[in-house]
Amino acid sequence: MDSLHLDQSQITVLEQQGCSASDWQTVTLSPQCILSRIRNAAFSGTVEIGDNTGVIRVDGMEFDCGIYHAAITDCTIGDHVRIANVGSVVARYVVGDNVAIENTAALIADIDPACGNGVELDVVNEAGGRGTVIFNELSAHTAYMQALMRHNPECTRRLSSLILAALRATARGARIGSHARIVHCGVIRNVDVGPYAFLHGTQYLENGSILSCAEHPTEIGEGVQARSFIIAEGAKIESGAILDKVYCGQAVKMGKQFSAENSLFFANCEAYHGEAVSLFAGPYTVTHHKSTLLIAGLFSFFNAGSGSNQSNHMYKLGPVHQGVFERGCKTGSFSYVLLESRIGAFSVVIGKHYSNINTPNLPFSYIHEDEGASKLIPGMTLFSVGTVRDGEKWPKRDNRKAPVKRDLLCFDVFSPYTVEKMRRGRDELLALAESTPKEKPFVTYGGLQINRLLLRKGAKYYSMAIARYLNEKVSERLMNALAHSSDWAVATASLSSDGLLQHPDEWTDLCGLLTPRERLAALEAMITSNACESIDDVNRELGAMYDAYRADEWRYVCDVFRKEYGIEPAALTHEKALAAVEEWKRSASSLHAMILEDAKREFAAFAKIGYGIDRNEEERERDFLSVRGSSETNSVVQKLVNEEKELEQRYQQYSSIILTNRKE
Amino acid sequence: MTRQEIADRVINTTARELKMNASDIHETDSFAEDLGADSLKSIELVAAFEEEFDLSVVEEDALKVQSVAGAIEFFDSLINHQ
Repeated sequence: MDSLHLDQSQITVLEQQGCSASDWQTVTLSPQCILSRIRNAAFSGTVEIGDNTGVIRVDGMEFDCGIYHAAITDCTIGDHVRIANVGSVVARYVVGDNVAIENTAALIADIDPACGNGVELDVVNEAGGRGTVIFNELSAHTAYMQALMRHNPECTRRLSSLILAALRATARGARIGSHARIVHCGVIRNVDVGPYAFLHGTQYLENGSILSCAEHPTEIGEGVQARSFIIAEGAKIESGAILDKVYCGQAVKMGKQFSAENSLFFANCEAYHGEAVSLFAGPYTVTHHKSTLLIAGLFSFFNAGSGSNQSNHMYKLGPVHQGVFERGCKTGSFSYVLLESRIGAFSVVIGKHYSNINTPNLPFSYIHEDEGASKLIPGMTLFSVGTVRDGEKWPKRDNRKAPVKRDLLCFDVFSPYTVEKMRRGRDELLALAESTPKEKPFVTYGGLQINRLLLRKGAKYYSMAIARYLNEKVSERLMNALAHSSDWAVATASLSSDGLLQHPDEWTDLCGLLTPRERLAALEAMITSNACESIDDVNRELGAMYDAYRADEWRYVCDVFRKEYGIEPAALTHEKALAAVEEWKRSASSLHAMILEDAKREFAAFAKIGYGIDRNEEERERDFLSVRGSSETNSVVQKLVNEEKELEQRYQQYSSIILTNRKE
Repeated sequence: MTRQEIADRVINTTARELKMNASDIHETDSFAEDLGADSLKSIELVAAFEEEFDLSVVEEDALKVQSVAGAIEFFDSLINHQ
């Protein structure tokens, strides 16, 4: 922008239009500037004004660009900008092109504001010790490494220094990105506003960054109060949300008076009505209802029922307890969990639990309350239609549109992480079954009671899921190999593992990113030894972990298939391959049929209790049918029915390919 | 095992698991609607029946059983007709 100083005639015109300046010599204009579009403006400090021709849309109407009824201090204002009706001042901002600032109390930045970058949040443990620094490039994984790897203080210290170095390198003044709209807002202080962001009716924002982009504009709506925050691309924070020391990741939705402090929310989280304190909400953590408090815990792919609550305080040494709800957990209405607790992946918690639960090796379980006792049914959500729906909906509901997706997410419900947990759970349950006399009605496990009769039952459920997973992976891989070479020896040789991992069965969930533990250990070592010289290097390594997931998963499958069946996939004969396909079909069909039965229960007589009020049976049926449909018309049930047919077709196809190859 | 013996054992097992009196359980009762056995209890019932009859059942078949009479038929078929 070639700005020019004003000549005396221009100054006179502006003064006649109600403008003033502390020093007109420090005010410069674009040569294209239309003077009549600068009215009742008070300038101080150095002000550079761009081309103010054209119009801009505000509230659905087109208005002239320009500056009207506003005080401007030390600002650079881009082309085609409208600033109108600012209560006090726009100070120390670089305003991009095509920005509208209308009817807003104040936009003020200090010299060199941090804009939320570098703020430390006390997540997971409210009493501290897991301080996590937020910055614009934060991901669920770098946050996890900051908060949850305190066993390695040197790694934590070094990671912290890399983050601080990145903050120093990227420090700059506050800006309003191009195409941003800030309308009808209160005071905005030290807030960096990204391109295309839309702020409307916001009450008070201080010390924050609103990342935004053309592909996925970020929206901050009515009544939002936020201090010390970063809000990422595509997030929508609205309707009275209150944030204090909070990071909201990409495509997060938050509002309806939700309040959060010292909390992290990563990709696609949704939070309404309730409260979060010291929460590490990994991707897809969802809480929609009033009276729900999520506190002092690590969650991901989580769904909170209304009134869900946890307590981290025993009135002894303060709020020092923390909880872990592994990926995929749900809590029922008015559930309560006493922390410390660690709930296994994909478990459902119903009722109130006053013992410290520790069930990481019993994923897919129902934890419920029965006559005041906390009980667990192992493996029960394996055949819940809800689990199936969750696994399908998460990738479909990935609303992130920004070009760079910071959180690297593995959506698989059945992965080396969960399958290995099931293997451990199966073995533990069988050992308990062996050692428990028939006279004993239940055993205690991880703070819970398990009905003795369910020990073998749970182990059986886990065995079915393990068999389905392993045999399906091996069968699919074999089919792909045979598609490339009909030579059995060549095809099976391609199933061999490269042995790259020393411990292929030890995995971790890096808050959405599943990876072998030794890969994470290698990254720790790289950080600690300064082999990672920047946070970009760390992110690159995390990206490599993500890219290696499928290959690592196959390494796991090879290792565990051998342990379970005594043979490497690469050593499969035709007969063994047929047996693997048979085993996959048997276990998959059983689980699928159980899931289908679970889905059909939604159409059983009890499901019709609230229908056809004060009507006869026929009218009740008709009312239910018109609202809920039938199992024959329900899309989920029909999808399951079709999947059963597909399963049978695949089984026939796989068997046929192996038999044909054997003849050749 | 006679059908009556199977029926008695199904009803007694159901009574024990659901903490009811056996005399209050009838063959016509639905596990869910009449006896209040939710899906959690259904799994425990299946496990209890397995132990009672020293059998291992096919899960998906067992979970299709809706009533006491259905359970009697199910185990009668498994014990006496297979």
